[in-house]
Amino acid sequence: MGNPLLEAREARWARRLELARGLGAGGSLLSLTLRLPAPLRVGREGAGLGQGLYAALRRASIDAGLGPGRGEFRLSADGPEGYLELDVGLAEAKELALGFEEGHPWGELADLDAMGPGGSVLGRAELGRRPRSCLVCGAEAAACVAGRSHGLEEIRRAAEVLLGGPLGPPGTRAASGAAAPELTLGPRGPWAGAMGESSRAIGEAALRALVAEAAAEPKPGLVSPSSRGAHLDMDYGSFLASAAALAPWFETFARLGRGFGGREPDELLPSLRAAGLEAERDMLAATGGVNTHKGLIFSLGLLCAASGLLAGRGERLEAGACARMAARIVRGICERDFAGLAGREASTLSAGERLRLGSGLGGARAEAEGGFPSVVGASLPRLRAGLSAGLGRGEALVDALLVLFGQVEDSNVLARCGPEGLELLRSSSARALGLGGMATEAGREAVAAMNEEFAARRLSPGGCADLLALTAFLAELPG
Amino acid sequence: MKAIKDSVAGSLESSDVLVTLRPSSEAAVSLQVESIVMKQYGRRITAVAEELVAATGLSGASLRIQDRGALECTLRARLETAIARATA
Repeated sequence: MGNPLLEAREARWARRLELARGLGAGGSLLSLTLRLPAPLRVGREGAGLGQGLYAALRRASIDAGLGPGRGEFRLSADGPEGYLELDVGLAEAKELALGFEEGHPWGELADLDAMGPGGSVLGRAELGRRPRSCLVCGAEAAACVAGRSHGLEEIRRAAEVLLGGPLGPPGTRAASGAAAPELTLGPRGPWAGAMGESSRAIGEAALRALVAEAAAEPKPGLVSPSSRGAHLDMDYGSFLASAAALAPWFETFARLGRGFGGREPDELLPSLRAAGLEAERDMLAATGGVNTHKGLIFSLGLLCAASGLLAGRGERLEAGACARMAARIVRGICERDFAGLAGREASTLSAGERLRLGSGLGGARAEAEGGFPSVVGASLPRLRAGLSAGLGRGEALVDALLVLFGQVEDSNVLARCGPEGLELLRSSSARALGLGGMATEAGREAVAAMNEEFAARRLSPGGCADLLALTAFLAELPG
Repeated sequence: MKAIKDSVAGSLESSDVLVTLRPSSEAAVSLQVESIVMKQYGRRITAVAEELVAATGLSGASLRIQDRGALECTLRARLETAIARATA
């Protein structure tokens, strides 16, 4: 056939029929695509929008009492696509879809189809509903699409009005070297300082942090929208799928913290660990078994719980206090988890445990127990400074990542590339920052060179990436 | 070119079209068109299908087109694929 878009659509249709065949008698399947022309649908803006809509749809399902369902989100050549299996009948699923398309602030940009067991479909016409109206002129949408009644720019403007911000012309970064406009996820308005105190708001901030970290680029050695970094087994789509699967869990962590009350904070850890294991299972199911966010489930889950706990006690929710509360929750964790390692057979130890024995490094546990010193003391101030100096969110995050490279003994790097890898991480980031980081041409060139070198050496600073997401999360809090 | 097996191309998603082709004992090609924009584009869809059937010399087939508002270039690509799959 030769046309990747048309092939991707056929593959999606086949996937939908396959999922529908596997549905139980009372189940149904919703599928989400973007109601935008292909040039606006594919690429990073489309990916961010699709991800935001998919997460919102799952929340809408929970809010409607239909449960979180079982989901799958991915990026195809035709743009983002999400699937959601629900344990309710076709008519109920279609009502949820119609309610979302018509009621959610971004709903007009979503195209939701409902399918029952065996592939039966239920359209608006069968329910006696009017056909969807065009985003631009309000006439019958199908006729405008089939007749190409509106130009790309006209449709883009209509979408931007709806979003309250730029969709961004795909490819401008490559074409002009200028920063591509970024889509604000979550509530409209400024990104920094946006986090509210409800468990839901905390969970949403965590999801925003995950997506902001994944979308920032260039991140040397790490997965970003346009690069797999040093990874062969995962890409940006894996991270979005993982973020989608984890979204409800971060709210759960916040709720566990909020409901905890006035006992000693370290008594909260067992229930967080249990939830964390469930979240991990969902992550692996969403990514096909790839570990995208395991470390982050621990550390960001912890910060969500700490935020919830502070909010529940009526204390001021502020970045330093949140990190200190997280440290209190995991007090003694390194000693407990690493005790007894020395007496064990070398063959029974994990890579991380061997590393701990050999180097004395504690990785994510030690960082958490110390109250995230690399974040609170280094990357967070750098991110705030970059944002107030007028850098874009992506650029400011990359600078904060460079700061982390210079601070952190990243156990991912140590395990794969040894002390030489850590040295390269340190020296190259110091050089890029010395040249001005993402604020200068020379700095950006140095980061681009790091990107290539890290990929070639398969050097992946995944521990630093996790800390960057924590930085993005804490940046939403004052102080 | 005679259709020798069943074939399908496309999907029932918005802005796409599902083309289903079955071999038949009659020499002529029978055409069945459904569209959510039948009023505006039904005749155009039929004309495009007839044009492609003539151009490829397809015979001995029944052709069903379920259109969900596809662009003309999409319709053409789906028809070509279905015909290629049925005659290969």
